[in-house]
Amino acid sequence: MGAFEYRQAEEIREKFAARGIRYLFLGKSGAILLGFPDTTQDADIYVERSVENCRALAAALRELGFALNAEQGAEIERGKDFIQLKNGPFDLDLIFAPDGIERFEDAWRRRVDVEGFPVCHLDDIIASKAATNRQKDRESLPRLRSFREWWMQRQR
Amino acid sequence: MGKTARPLLNPSAPVSIPLEWREEFEAAARRPLSQRMRYAFIRTYKPVLDDAPFRAWDSTAQYRSWCESNLPDWLGYGRV
Repeated sequence: MGAFEYRQAEEIREKFAARGIRYLFLGKSGAILLGFPDTTQDADIYVERSVENCRALAAALRELGFALNAEQGAEIERGKDFIQLKNGPFDLDLIFAPDGIERFEDAWRRRVDVEGFPVCHLDDIIASKAATNRQKDRESLPRLRSFREWWMQRQR
Repeated sequence: MGKTARPLLNPSAPVSIPLEWREEFEAAARRPLSQRMRYAFIRTYKPVLDDAPFRAWDSTAQYRSWCESNLPDWLGYGRV
């Protein structure tokens, strides 16, 4: 398996849009879509936990090439809080309850559209990383906060 | 690079932007998204984490706890 590629992000965008799936890029992958120059290994998406959305998500993931058995598909349909997929064309984390963000609806209202990709606002990305309090997030936060400052200045 | 929504963080809180970082941000902004992604997404093997094709946790707290108990410290998934 190689690194996550732009064309694969496009496939997510197309397949998810076709099924009306509500999701947001989150984490460093979201920040990268917003222009943050850094590296990461996988894509993180924050998915709205509703019966219809989760069902559509499992179907779209199969279309994208993720080899989900019945049990795994059921876990996605149930919207377990955190799911790691390494059984497809790229690594993908599905997050239904990220640290630092109360409700999907709030993050959805604050989202940023980048070439049709729905992305969490940088404030939500930073809040989520700050709330996890992991070593790797602690290390990236100062640069991410500086990027947020620069990015907000550009929007004014 | 997209349009903004309402910011959550305190906009008056001072945040410095080191010159070197500012130059990197500006350089990145000049690149198309496809190129930025090519530079950003890398693939290296992560022990334990990459050894199962599928994992699911009932809660994010359980996931964090699992990472701390099972992953090598140097991966950085442990909480501070």
